[in-house]
Amino acid sequence: MSYDQSRIRNFCIIAHIDHGKSTLADRILEKTGVMKLRDMTDQVLDSMELERERGITIKSKAVRMPYTARDGREYELNLIDTPGHVDFTYEVSRALAACEGAVLVVDASQGIEAQTLANVYMALDHDLEIRPVINKIDLPSAQPEVVKQEIEDEIGLDCEGCPLVSAKQGIGIEDVLEDIVNNVPAPKDDPKAPLQALIFDSYYDNYRGAISSVRVKAGSVKVGDRIRMMAGKCEFDVTEVGAYLPLGYSPRESLSAGEVGYIAASIKDIADIHVGDTITLANNPAAEPLPGYKPVLPMVYCGIYPADGADYENLRDALEKLRLNDAALSYEPETSVALGYGFRCGFLGLLHMEIIQQRLEREFDLDLVTTAPSVVYKVVKTDGETLFIDNPTNLPTAQEIDWMEEPMVDAQVITPQEFVGAIMELCQDKRGTFRDMKYIEGGRVLLKYDLPLNEVIYDFFDQLKSRTRGYASFDYELKGYERSDLVKLDMLLNGEQCDALSIIVHRDRAYPRGRSIAEKLKEAIPRQLFEIPIQAAIGGKVIARETVKALRKDVLAKCYGGDISRKKKLLEKQKEGKKRMRQVGSVSVPSEAFMAVLKMD
Amino acid sequence: MSALSLYIHVPFCRSKCAYCDFASYPGREGDWRRYFEALWGEIDAWAPRLVGRRAVTAFFGGGTPTLMDAEYIAETLARLRRAVPFAPDAEITCEGNPGTLTPEKLTVLRGAGVNRLSLGAQSFDDALLTALGRIHTAAQTGEAVRMAREAGFGNVSLDLMYALPGQSMAQWRDTLDAAVALGVEHISAYSLIVEPGTPMAARVASGAAALPEDDEVNAMQRHAVHALAGAGYGRYEISNFACRGFECRHNLVYWDRGEYLGLGCAAHSLLEGRRFHNPESLDGYLAGGREEEAQRLTAADAAEETVMLATRTTRGLDLARWEREFGAPFRRGREAALARLARGGWIETDGGFLRLTPRGMELHNAVVLELLEDTKA
Repeated sequence: MSYDQSRIRNFCIIAHIDHGKSTLADRILEKTGVMKLRDMTDQVLDSMELERERGITIKSKAVRMPYTARDGREYELNLIDTPGHVDFTYEVSRALAACEGAVLVVDASQGIEAQTLANVYMALDHDLEIRPVINKIDLPSAQPEVVKQEIEDEIGLDCEGCPLVSAKQGIGIEDVLEDIVNNVPAPKDDPKAPLQALIFDSYYDNYRGAISSVRVKAGSVKVGDRIRMMAGKCEFDVTEVGAYLPLGYSPRESLSAGEVGYIAASIKDIADIHVGDTITLANNPAAEPLPGYKPVLPMVYCGIYPADGADYENLRDALEKLRLNDAALSYEPETSVALGYGFRCGFLGLLHMEIIQQRLEREFDLDLVTTAPSVVYKVVKTDGETLFIDNPTNLPTAQEIDWMEEPMVDAQVITPQEFVGAIMELCQDKRGTFRDMKYIEGGRVLLKYDLPLNEVIYDFFDQLKSRTRGYASFDYELKGYERSDLVKLDMLLNGEQCDALSIIVHRDRAYPRGRSIAEKLKEAIPRQLFEIPIQAAIGGKVIARETVKALRKDVLAKCYGGDISRKKKLLEKQKEGKKRMRQVGSVSVPSEAFMAVLKMD
Repeated sequence: MSALSLYIHVPFCRSKCAYCDFASYPGREGDWRRYFEALWGEIDAWAPRLVGRRAVTAFFGGGTPTLMDAEYIAETLARLRRAVPFAPDAEITCEGNPGTLTPEKLTVLRGAGVNRLSLGAQSFDDALLTALGRIHTAAQTGEAVRMAREAGFGNVSLDLMYALPGQSMAQWRDTLDAAVALGVEHISAYSLIVEPGTPMAARVASGAAALPEDDEVNAMQRHAVHALAGAGYGRYEISNFACRGFECRHNLVYWDRGEYLGLGCAAHSLLEGRRFHNPESLDGYLAGGREEEAQRLTAADAAEETVMLATRTTRGLDLARWEREFGAPFRRGREAALARLARGGWIETDGGFLRLTPRGMELHNAVVLELLEDTKA
């Protein structure tokens, strides 16, 4: 097909988790024929094992599909898949910026959820044409008319004639495609202007190096061009451009304004590609980059250590490999008195952190010890210096600190009415400030709170789930820093401070947290030869105390007929157990104890 | 001539006790003959490899070696004497269970040269004996000791058990008193070990049997040490007590890492720097399986075993011998652990021996772990 912008449709699919985004994407691929039925594994776009398991998309992807519409014309549809979680909000916003339209998938029985709204607002911010689609109409509990009304009332979208589909059963897929062709505007970009290509994703390919997924907003780019990253300030020679097919690359001579595809330029380090950056030509640069670039900063940090110190090199190699594909992951070596050599890792959020930990364990078969996650605190010292602290161990002494600030988020929760009280109580417990409450369709309520991020990363999700039996949905966005009365809580084992167990908490939370951690440690630390006092302390003042009683009896009564193998086996087992423990002074602490601190009540 | 100890396993019992998971096979009377023939064959096969050695101890263990005709034991001893010369003062022990002994059997054993009898008394409380699945009564134990004396045994030992489900301190006290009253030369007092897969383990798991708390077990053990010392039995190993001069030399060989050859089903050996054993199952042994899982011990293995075994005895670990054997002072690399353990009162060093205190013995595994811990450092 020759280049004709009027035949291009760039769109994404937005949905609350579980509303069937990936399944709809699969059906679209199938319908347009780029995937034969026999090539399809479920949820093609979610290729990473973890993505499939969790039913969420971690990385953005884009697929080009030729589609011959009912009007007899051939169109080029570019589906840009967006990450489905709050941790990747910025990536989502860049993917949206690459589109003209968004298909909004709403579950016919669940209706609007927190992420639905958050996604819609974001799509509106990018002036996208939003096309509602009601999914799962085959379910007995489906109420498409109610949900349509809800969308009209809550979001103000016209649902007249919107496609009613069952992605699972393959019902109504063609209606979705026709709706896109007829209603999503074609790009109207200037192919003659200097190149402006928006990077909405990056990843690493073993043969091509780090690759940028782009939407060309102006001009064109071809093999051999020298490109410049406008924010990244580096230049490369283009080795390949093209479009994506579900199972691979489709190299082309050039990519022009309005098109979506990839640019490869033998880039070794993915850190040279910033999502949101603009690519232009070195010899004919655009005057301005595209708007909206901001560097991606980790919001949550934790220490990751090999359970067996001998695995340090393996852990480093594994992090290096993951980092190839994930510019948002940061890590640098750190040492802990208790845990030895490991890495301080930065993540976009808790989910990102969990995903990385699980990938390290599964794909690289590593046994890890992770420390409690920490947010980045702003510390203003008495001498006027400002520090950003992501590791409690590095916090200056109380005397040196003038004041501290902590990151806050704008949080919105959508919940059935009956749980409003429980959620308000939870947000109160979490030091939240009430902002707004709104009744929406279906007897549900939208609650808005300002919450400290360090409370959100603690056990907010678990609490929300258990207090609302999983009915509430939650979404948040970073808001900025606020002054707060924070203290460093230390844990002492047999009088020795254990650096890996220190956390920064609000003063009002210090006592219950200290007591809870001491109790958890008491359960996790096995009895030893001597009694072990466990203390929680703030600045040397003990606020909670527990004791692991001394071992009373640990002896094998006899060796049978010179058979010492039982005793040897027992000893081997004990030695193995001890090897997996960390020495804090004279106390042996099992790896699990460090994790136990993360899991609360 | 280098000293050798012999262990001969007799894997037959009338019935299986509730706590037992050793190689013992009730109801295989039909295989007794075959078994001893296989055993004698094994002895003959070893003979050429034992040239230049002298047997200093022999131990018939089980199972119940007194279950069958004593001629089997006598013939086995005769074959052993042909295979390897015995020292004139060799200690020759036979284990036996009250209820399987007769004056005739004892006379045959004594006549064959057996000079030490070790009886599985376990308890002097008939209800506890029944619960353990033992086939004898307390009265039969007393009778067995008297018969042994009459047959001329001057060295008799009783095995006793404590930490039994439902056992009170008073019952344990009475059992110790009864054992002492019989005037035996040696007493072994073992804390019950609940082995997985035994009826006892199932009873404990189902809650049908409740094990005493650690503190209660320690109290029983401390009472044994105290009461037996008062009656003239010195503790020479974690679970073993003897009148002066009646310490079991055979068992001391195990703890001293002396050389021993195990013959018969499931028997373990330490010979020429190797550990190996015969098949655990009777059928495996009858089918000709021998010397399985042979492992040549490295210096590190030997060092680890030394720490594990020597610390079981009240004599302790011979520091000068350690240095001779392993080329470095025992202290080296263990300074911190030794200081910590001494400060805690778990170990003491004097007269060139490092030994565990009575408190240290209660935590033998944990203390050994500390002593090994620094070996690699």
